Amino acid sequence: MLNTLAQAFSLICTWEVIVAMLAASVYGLVIGSLPGLSATMATALLVPVTFYLSPIAAIATIVAASSMAIFSGDIPGALLRIPGTPASAAYADEAYAMTRKGEAELALGAGVWFSAVGGIAGTLSLMILAPPLAEIALSFSTFEYFWLALLGLMCATLVARSSPVKAIAGMFIGLLVSCIGIENPGGVPRFTFGVTNLLGGIEPIPALVGVFAVAQVMRAMLTPEPPPIPRRKFGSIMAGQWRLTKKYHWQMTRGNIIGIIIGVLPGAGADMAAWVSYAMSKRFSKEPEKFGTGHVEGLVEAGASNNASIASGWVPSLLFGIPGDTIAAIAIGVLYMKGLNPGPTLFTEKASSMYAIYLMFIIANIIMIPFGIVMIRLASYVLRAPRSSVMPVIMLCCAVGSFAIGNNMFGVVTVATFGVIGYVMEENGYPVAAMVLGIVMGTMIEQAFVTSLIKSDGSVLPFFERPIAAILAAMAIGALIWPVLVWVWRKLKRTPIPATSPR
Amino acid sequence: MRLPDRVTGLFLVGLGAAAAYGGWQLPPVPGQPVGPNVFPLVIGTGLALCGLAIALGIGHSFEEEEELIPVEGDQPPPPTSKLYGLRVLLPPALLLFYVAVADQLGFIITAALIVFVTSTALGARWKLSLPLAVLAPIGIHLIFSKLLRVPLPAGLLPMPW
Repeated sequence: MLNTLAQAFSLICTWEVIVAMLAASVYGLVIGSLPGLSATMATALLVPVTFYLSPIAAIATIVAASSMAIFSGDIPGALLRIPGTPASAAYADEAYAMTRKGEAELALGAGVWFSAVGGIAGTLSLMILAPPLAEIALSFSTFEYFWLALLGLMCATLVARSSPVKAIAGMFIGLLVSCIGIENPGGVPRFTFGVTNLLGGIEPIPALVGVFAVAQVMRAMLTPEPPPIPRRKFGSIMAGQWRLTKKYHWQMTRGNIIGIIIGVLPGAGADMAAWVSYAMSKRFSKEPEKFGTGHVEGLVEAGASNNASIASGWVPSLLFGIPGDTIAAIAIGVLYMKGLNPGPTLFTEKASSMYAIYLMFIIANIIMIPFGIVMIRLASYVLRAPRSSVMPVIMLCCAVGSFAIGNNMFGVVTVATFGVIGYVMEENGYPVAAMVLGIVMGTMIEQAFVTSLIKSDGSVLPFFERPIAAILAAMAIGALIWPVLVWVWRKLKRTPIPATSPR
Repeated sequence: MRLPDRVTGLFLVGLGAAAAYGGWQLPPVPGQPVGPNVFPLVIGTGLALCGLAIALGIGHSFEEEEELIPVEGDQPPPPTSKLYGLRVLLPPALLLFYVAVADQLGFIITAALIVFVTSTALGARWKLSLPLAVLAPIGIHLIFSKLLRVPLPAGLLPMPW
């Protein structure tokens, strides 16, 4: 154990890893703080760069950039009432109300401090949860993998803030995309329409870049530019944070735990964690009437929650190759590229790499505090960069990055196509995250499904015979039926008291 | 691009049915009950059912209204002409333009055109968009071609490094 830890240290104490981590931190902070550029997009655009790094340095950039971007999204939320990333949307109003009351320092300080605490709590959960789960996962057969992957997809549809039917449709679209190519049980070209480039299937990374980056540039074409940030001088940012920690330690812990649970659930990520925690904080608060008027309590809980989910989202990714959220979906792609194929054996065979990942998460969350303070002080300059100068650069990165993945122009076509698909889906209320997870998990779920069917000789019964498979099956089917139950319950409730507002 | 649920739902019914039919047509693996045709069949059927449910408006009550965060201060009302809506297709069109001409024109020239058009479309004056169109491609070229060794097309204007 100590030996592995020492090995892990020597893995990350190289110049390449340190420089990659620092550069990715600055990059994540800047992208996260610019409204409209999300943490997922920051990570997706990093992937082509990670091609040329060593495995540990590649993972370091992903870890650092995603953690920083999630915190940094709080900055424009507090100063402009425009969340920098969707994960900050839950409490942007509250933070902005605090700024108007003259408490901008407290709001931003809470953002950076409780983000760091949440990130470290999430990392601890990753360290504690992953190894014992790996023990259990070693005995998994294709039946368990099938249900687990299905459960992941169902969770992604369940937590989407949209109609569950549309979310499931989005998931099916993603699975359908994953059918393209010859990588299927028969090895026959499927849905390729004679196009040679489609034989290899659709690469998940260009699809992700299209859905999250190109679609965002498309949206910017029609929305007005956000107003420039007013210049202001900040007082001490960390003052009073320790007092808050003591006063709201229970809220902080609850935020951490909720964030960890939502992160571990496949498909649900930081934005969901923030929404749930903010709502929870309001529900259980002693002074709920203060919420919305610039009260720091909800900020503490939700800020602690969204960063906790980032690290714990790696649990299912590392163990099963099932992403905990869209950022983890990208991370899985990078892991495969770097020969660290996700699976329970990763924890025994490549233990030092795993420890290196834990260490990098902890380091990223510690350096988030000084970096975050500098970023807050520089925010008035960074946020003055007009959108018309940022978006063109994003466009170039999309084109070059997607080309670099296979040194193939077809990647650029994929990016453009998925930009349009993502834009149209989002506009019509179809959650794109469900589709993305469908694309990432499609091949795996098909393999598990077909292999299981061959083993069972076409019978459905063996899918439920093994105990863990039965539990996972019950959970997956429950997740499918849940919206129906909610709907029936709402109908029943609405009959006696008409015109109750939904939720 | 906001379409009624009926339209998107029926489109999904068509897509699902086509996928299921396409899957059905695939040759099975000899001597095996399940092959490459099963999964598309299942997915296509599921998608078609979802599309049908969406077209019939099932599950609509779950959709939360988008929280529009009103921006303070006065904003010019967005232009509402039909052509304005087409601007949204500019980014994918520019990417396809890149695919079509990058090999002939080279990275620097194509990228400069893309930057200039995107930046102008987003409301930049030429004082910003022209220098940006010169500097951004060179910067990206430095990072990706020099540092990361991505073989970007040289075309008419090869870089000296």
